[in-house]
Amino acid sequence: MQSPETVPPDEPRHGAGAPAPVGPPPRRSSGRAWEWTLAALLLLPNLVLLIVFTYRPLLDNIRLSFTDWNISSPIANPVGLANYIEWFGRDDTRVVVRNTVVFTVATVGISMALGLGLALLLDQRLRGRNLVRSVVFAPFVISGAAIGIAFQFVFDPQFGLVRDLLTRVGVTSPDFYQQSGWALFMVTVTYIWKNLGYTFVIYLAALQGRRADLDEAAEIDGASAWARFRRVLMPQLRPTTFFLSITVLLSSVQVFDIINVMTRGGPAGNGTATLVYQVYQETFVNQRAGYGATVATIMFVILLAVTVVQVRFMDKGQRS
Amino acid sequence: MNEFSRRGFLGLAGAAGVAGLSACAGTGTAPSSGAGGGSSNTIEFWSNHPGNSKPVEQQIIKAFEAANSGLRVKLVDAGKNYEEVAQKFNASLAGGQLPDVVVVSDVTWFNFALNKQLAPLDDLLSAAKIDTSDYVDALYNDYNLDEKHYALPFSRSTPLFYYNKDLWKAAGLEDRGPKDWDEFLTWAPKLKAAAGSDTIVMELPDGSNYLDWVFQNIVWGYGGAYSKEWTPTFSDPNTVKAGAYLQDLAKKGFLKLSKDPAPDFTAGIVGCSMMSTGSLGGVTKDAKFAVGTAFLPGDGNCPTGGAGVGIPASLSDERKKNALKFIEFLTNAQNTVTFTQATGYMPVRKSAVELPEEKAFLEKNPNAKTAIDQLPKTRSQDNVRVLLPGGGARIGKALDQIVQGQDVGTVFKALDAESQQVFDSQIKSKLGA
Repeated sequence: MQSPETVPPDEPRHGAGAPAPVGPPPRRSSGRAWEWTLAALLLLPNLVLLIVFTYRPLLDNIRLSFTDWNISSPIANPVGLANYIEWFGRDDTRVVVRNTVVFTVATVGISMALGLGLALLLDQRLRGRNLVRSVVFAPFVISGAAIGIAFQFVFDPQFGLVRDLLTRVGVTSPDFYQQSGWALFMVTVTYIWKNLGYTFVIYLAALQGRRADLDEAAEIDGASAWARFRRVLMPQLRPTTFFLSITVLLSSVQVFDIINVMTRGGPAGNGTATLVYQVYQETFVNQRAGYGATVATIMFVILLAVTVVQVRFMDKGQRS
Repeated sequence: MNEFSRRGFLGLAGAAGVAGLSACAGTGTAPSSGAGGGSSNTIEFWSNHPGNSKPVEQQIIKAFEAANSGLRVKLVDAGKNYEEVAQKFNASLAGGQLPDVVVVSDVTWFNFALNKQLAPLDDLLSAAKIDTSDYVDALYNDYNLDEKHYALPFSRSTPLFYYNKDLWKAAGLEDRGPKDWDEFLTWAPKLKAAAGSDTIVMELPDGSNYLDWVFQNIVWGYGGAYSKEWTPTFSDPNTVKAGAYLQDLAKKGFLKLSKDPAPDFTAGIVGCSMMSTGSLGGVTKDAKFAVGTAFLPGDGNCPTGGAGVGIPASLSDERKKNALKFIEFLTNAQNTVTFTQATGYMPVRKSAVELPEEKAFLEKNPNAKTAIDQLPKTRSQDNVRVLLPGGGARIGKALDQIVQGQDVGTVFKALDAESQQVFDSQIKSKLGA
């Protein structure tokens, strides 16, 4: 005989010895239907917005990538894979992909490393730290175009702050606008400066939610500061690091305003042109919206692949 | 559960992010049709306010509304430059509300006309009995495709040769611009010696900022061209000679490129430059030295530039009629004088220079007179720069490479091939269609 204590209190009791059910029968199936309806109602607005403003344009963009659409023309003729074949065969593709990789890797790596460093520093009890935190975060909320204009004065080859500082220590300033390598360096530094506040604030939030007792225990056990950072703190920050690596990667690849304002993709045509700038250049300057759609689609596939790899990598790390 | 949530969330966020990113190239090809929305009594004027002209545009609009009761003009900020206006116009063609009057540059008008998105104005002009012979011929004919005109000149400019008179004096040179580019090469060492190490002899805009526009003067000066009609001629020996000249100036340290030479010239650290007449007002006002202006070197080698105003093809007849009425008012002799004096752009009417207020203005501003006097010597630009999609950017890129030291012949040969390919794939089949 089953003891009444082994039956969960919210389970209906049947069989010998159980008291007869009182009141109406339980309405589990109708409750579930209501839950599904409620979930659908709550999800619907966002789902509609996603479909209309993200996935429909995405599909439309893929369709356009197989056409020769001139952006001012009402007609788009199908051209099969011609745009894709052209992209893979063109000389400037190599330069644009290289620029994109350099810019993205540098901005993701450096802004995350600096953001973590600043978060560690400003997590300490320091005088005026709230003011400094605000100062570090502020550039993130300023528009990229405004920052691009401001940094033109920093890097101006005749009157810029950088030139002035270098001249004071006897170093000749490079021409950041006419030398491709330096131009890419300039837009990368500018974007890191803008984005630093974002990585900083996310890391700071993660640090404030960490388990201090683990660190204290490791310290009592005689672990060095470096060992505590590597073995105790970083594993706790892993989900945050993963989140940042995806979001910073996506935002870095989308940078357009700073490049457009500072260099218009130059010097020498594509010295600082990234994939997203190439989409703009082909679509609006060269009028080849079909080809621009091709570049956007290729970028989509690349980023999707990178994101999937990141998700799997993180998942594997978490399991191990 | 926790693991699934994070993974699911990040996966979805990532997918939405990359999907949104890739949806940015274009969203559709809906042909514009019908009257394009809007009211026939309100004329929507899309402008980038060239030369900071918003106040003077508003002033002209106010006068138009006073003279035409029942018609209103809505001035719309359509971008910060001609390219942005074209982008906004392109977006409206895909289904949005169309403007009644839109600013189209020497580079952007052609693609709209070729794809039948701008109205040919000739019949409308005849019906409204507007005499087009008063428009400056070179400027009016810039918008000609298959014997039809698709815009009327508005904020038109040409480059001028700007020079620092004080430096010229210190170098022992006559107070004038060079007759040709060979003469300038003989002047350059004297200017360099007089200028000192901190001053640049000549600064021009780089390839991302219209070097391709002013360089036409050097090319034409050496007997070359970017193209003859639609045939690219970058490999022509005379065009190559001009490219080599540009490279030589840079190698010898006489030339530097920059995003915008105007601030450096105004600050007195640049001896001379070729810049738009639209820069004249700012340079003259801010420079602390005597500013000289001269015709571009050579005779009849000055390219036209700037923008006109057009009307979308799919507007109703009533709206087209009102739009043309406004364009005629905006560009009449009196208003082109008002506009030119406020901005430095060229008067687009022949009769404008005969008005007493313009005569008085030119007497007081001899540098502005240089631009007017140069006007009869202007020449329409080569097709592959202004009419071929992306032509200016393509040539600018090549010129940057040449200044950086790449072989002129090789760069120009590749440019010939690329330009020809763009013509074959994007223009050829549409011409005469």
